[in-house]
Amino acid sequence: MSDTVTLTIDGKPVTVAKGTNVLEAAKTLGVEISAFCYHPGLPIVAQCRQCLVSIEKNPKLQPSCQQVVADGMVVHTTDPVSTLARKQQLEFTLVNHPIDCPICDKAGECTLQKLYFDHDNADSRVDTPKVHKAKVVDIGPHIVLDQERCILCSRCIRTCDHVSGQHQLEFAHRSDHELLTTAPGEQLDNPYSLNTVDVCPVGALTAKDFRFTMRAWELDATPSICNGCATGCNIEIHHKNERAWRLVPRHNPDVNDYWMCDEGRFTYHDLREHRLAGPTVEGLPASWDRAIASAAKRLGVFLKDPAQVGVVLSATCSNEDNYALARLAKEWKVGLVLVAGKPPVPARADGRLRVADVNPNAAGVKAIAAALGLATTPSFELDRAPPANLRALVVLGDVLPGFDAARLKELEVIAVASHERGVVTGARVALPIAAWAEAAGTVTNAKGRVQRMHAAFAPPGQAIAGWDAIARLGHATGVKLAWSHAREVWKDMVAQVAAWKDVTWAREVRPLALRFAGSRG
Amino acid sequence: MPDTRTLKQLVLGRKDVQDLSDNEQELPPELMTVNMGPSHPAMHGTVRIVLTVDGERVVRGDVQPGYLHRCFEKESEHATYTQVFPYTDRLNYVSPMINNVGWAMVGEKLLGLTGKLPRRTEYIRVIVSEMSRMTDHLTCVGASAMELGAFTPFRYLLKCREWLYELLEKVSGARLTHSYVRIGGVSKDLPSDFHADLTLALDRIEGVLVECEGLLNNNKIFYDRMSGIGVMTREHAIATGCVGPIARACGVDYDVRRDYPYSIYPELEFDVPLGTTGDCLDRYLVRLEEIKQSIRMLRQCLAQIPDGPVMADDHRVALPPKRDTYNTIESMIRHFKHIMDGVRVPPGEAYAFVEGGNGELGFFVVADGTGRPYKAYVRSPSFVHLSTAGDLIRDHLIADVVPIFGMINMIGGECDK
Amino acid sequence: MSQKVLDALTATHGAALARTGSAHGDDIAWVRRESLLEVARWLRDDPAMAFDAPVFCTCIDWLDWHPVGRPASEHWSEGKPRFTVCYQLRSVAHRHRVRLEIELPEEDPRLPSLAELWPAFNWQERETFDMYGVRFDGHPDLRRIYMYEEFVGYPLRKDYPKEKRQPLVRRDDLPENPPASTER
Repeated sequence: MSDTVTLTIDGKPVTVAKGTNVLEAAKTLGVEISAFCYHPGLPIVAQCRQCLVSIEKNPKLQPSCQQVVADGMVVHTTDPVSTLARKQQLEFTLVNHPIDCPICDKAGECTLQKLYFDHDNADSRVDTPKVHKAKVVDIGPHIVLDQERCILCSRCIRTCDHVSGQHQLEFAHRSDHELLTTAPGEQLDNPYSLNTVDVCPVGALTAKDFRFTMRAWELDATPSICNGCATGCNIEIHHKNERAWRLVPRHNPDVNDYWMCDEGRFTYHDLREHRLAGPTVEGLPASWDRAIASAAKRLGVFLKDPAQVGVVLSATCSNEDNYALARLAKEWKVGLVLVAGKPPVPARADGRLRVADVNPNAAGVKAIAAALGLATTPSFELDRAPPANLRALVVLGDVLPGFDAARLKELEVIAVASHERGVVTGARVALPIAAWAEAAGTVTNAKGRVQRMHAAFAPPGQAIAGWDAIARLGHATGVKLAWSHAREVWKDMVAQVAAWKDVTWAREVRPLALRFAGSRG
Repeated sequence: MPDTRTLKQLVLGRKDVQDLSDNEQELPPELMTVNMGPSHPAMHGTVRIVLTVDGERVVRGDVQPGYLHRCFEKESEHATYTQVFPYTDRLNYVSPMINNVGWAMVGEKLLGLTGKLPRRTEYIRVIVSEMSRMTDHLTCVGASAMELGAFTPFRYLLKCREWLYELLEKVSGARLTHSYVRIGGVSKDLPSDFHADLTLALDRIEGVLVECEGLLNNNKIFYDRMSGIGVMTREHAIATGCVGPIARACGVDYDVRRDYPYSIYPELEFDVPLGTTGDCLDRYLVRLEEIKQSIRMLRQCLAQIPDGPVMADDHRVALPPKRDTYNTIESMIRHFKHIMDGVRVPPGEAYAFVEGGNGELGFFVVADGTGRPYKAYVRSPSFVHLSTAGDLIRDHLIADVVPIFGMINMIGGECDK
Repeated sequence: MSQKVLDALTATHGAALARTGSAHGDDIAWVRRESLLEVARWLRDDPAMAFDAPVFCTCIDWLDWHPVGRPASEHWSEGKPRFTVCYQLRSVAHRHRVRLEIELPEEDPRLPSLAELWPAFNWQERETFDMYGVRFDGHPDLRRIYMYEEFVGYPLRKDYPKEKRQPLVRRDDLPENPPASTER
């Protein structure tokens, strides 16, 4: 028995895997069947009846999201009966829908708008007053509910149940007074609550963080990887005017399916806080040339006996940045290589997407250091005794937990970081670098998967890519690292790290204007 | 660089200094490079011609366009179809309505709406197109006359142009940057007194044209400066892609309105003037005659225009009435999607062309099913005509560059896109 | 509309054509680039064809081609030809039109120039080269036409960002816009 099925949709044959539903099969042909409650990542309920199609030998219309394909099945989506049924269903949905588009957050990425325009586009036949429900219901710490806009598709209820495992949303009442509400005694406060805002096809559930800040059609989408923890959920950065406005998950069946956690969504705020925008020497602004010269001069003194110099790799920075610094450490033959990262948060580990390690790239740093033959020590194992002869430290990133603060003050610290906090504030020389959303690079998640981040916008001020800053520093101390693009760093890196030799550097992705992306809501 | 003697042979065609007659016995000049730069009163728009001259005679002209390149095509790829209309206004900015109509036609072709628009809207499009054609020719003829020293016809013809601009401003709200046409129709109906206003303007323009012909047609200076200058043969015109008045002046009988008719041109009676010699004078005469033909067509349109809607009754292209937009969710959504997503044009590629002021103005669009063009290429007649300028000015005097260039009617916006 | 042109073309140069088609009133012939000159010359010189009037020459970059409502196989993917150069021709005598489309791979976007056959294509091929980086072999003067000579890149390609600025006059006292290492 083969595991594919061949059926006919609108006169065209299509072969799909067994167990596929008709709606997905039609999608492969480019035929879009309207649907509200169906979501590929959620249990199917066939509740909205929007996806009804005609199937031969079947007297009644069938919901295509629930109908599993069978060999020889003949499906019609353009016949008058099912087309009328879908139009009427849309008309029903719109009967009590408030005329909120100008003030609704979802406008521009609203599935209801998209399906009405693409599949119905008929005039209204109703002139009776609409049913009114509560408009601004605070149902949780992050989410606001507008009960009038809700089209009762139950995607949010299933999302809570399926993704977080907690039942926090329910329907109450019936008929045209049915509304969405929280389960008795519950709030919508699970750590994956904002996924309901993603799946909501209309503007019923809106994120407090994002509502009224930016219109969806103004945004550009760039794919990247969340840097909130070692899971490495695939995300899209939605940005405009050189700043990020929100993060949404991107589908990856192997990593995060369609979801991400709420904390990860908020990591974009950090991109605009405490940023190191220009090089500093002894806390005061300096030009790149001066900063590099100063750092090189000071390091040069200690590099005469390289055991005095230590290097700190960072599990919060990309593979390319770490590789550049590791190469430099190797060329310099430094005495100490530390790996720093944010301390783990055991409470996060819930067996779903969140893990305890809140650093995006611990595995990557480990692999790079091992490939280059550098013996590393986690920084928080050093609080007892940093080596006595340590005089200078080149730190990537701004976290250095567990390092004796008094000892740190005595050292000559060259910081290569994106944020001005932590180690950077007391550093002798600070070189500004691009944060994770601003330069092309890769991170390796806890399962060893190397994933690519794309740059959404340019870094602030005079910051450049981390590997570039490190290469400049190396150049000034006599180490030639000739890279002009992250791609070249990557090529060098995979030549050294055997586990990554089959991973390819994807073509640069230009930001996708959400306005013309076809309302993916 | 060859030596003086060889230069002389090349340039003057003589064999030896001794062969020169007395009044030519002078040192042959070196070839000099003169820049008729992008900033030049006679370079309509911004075009640079690097002239290599021998005294007053042009040996070679390297025409360099591109100083007004404003990335029309790249910008169109990031704008909705309706947002491209203001960009099209700024292509041939002396006949903007024609550009609008061309862009609307390519969208309609891809949507399958060609020939399905209300008749009133087709008439309106033709009326404003012909008015724009008149403004184009009036500007061209007037400015060229002025550059030859005839300031009075310039003022007279621009006065006519002003009457038309006033009318177009009443119709669309702007003198030049109309953005009046939409895919599926036009944005609003003609004003109520348009009929009377246009009739009056046409009558007055006809009178002024008689005056200007009197000033120019038999004017010895004008005639000498234009006749026999910049001659293009018919075959050369065809092979170099020349269209419009320039080609018709050479005897190429091609007019899109007659040969590949669109809109309601089949119902109008008009003649297509043809020249014989292909020199500047013929181009001038052809344009003057075309103004008169446009007036003829406009009078017919005013007599024939029916009442009716001005936008196709197709929800794919038409915005809902405002009252419905504010009171029903369906119309609100439709209005919203139209503005935000743009008119959804199904995937495909099409080339729609109209008779612009300078000839066949075409839009080649590749659509991908979203509300913005995947590719929008403008086949601009001015660009093609400018490529012939280098050949036309060869062996002419520098002073002849002015009428040649003027009669090519290279509109910078259309040439450089 | 001019189906007979396509028929005649298929009859005489069938091997040179990848496929033919009609869309929205235009007849299109996809010509293989090795045979382009031969086909073009025949179209111009054959008395029944007599395509003496060139209309336009342009190029389509398929890099972002994801048409709505079409199956995934029609979307662009690595390995498919990235550029299609289009030549539109017209016949003054017979009034028919045809469009020749030549598909080019990304690594080697070059094809023979038709500037010698129709002088109008001289400037239009320069424009296509300037905007898309497609090289026309045998063109008498293939240089940029709209952009200045020092311009780097091909602006109408889909991977050239619209916001990128390349001022001709560089200012050393100002930071680069954007800095080179974060080039996306």
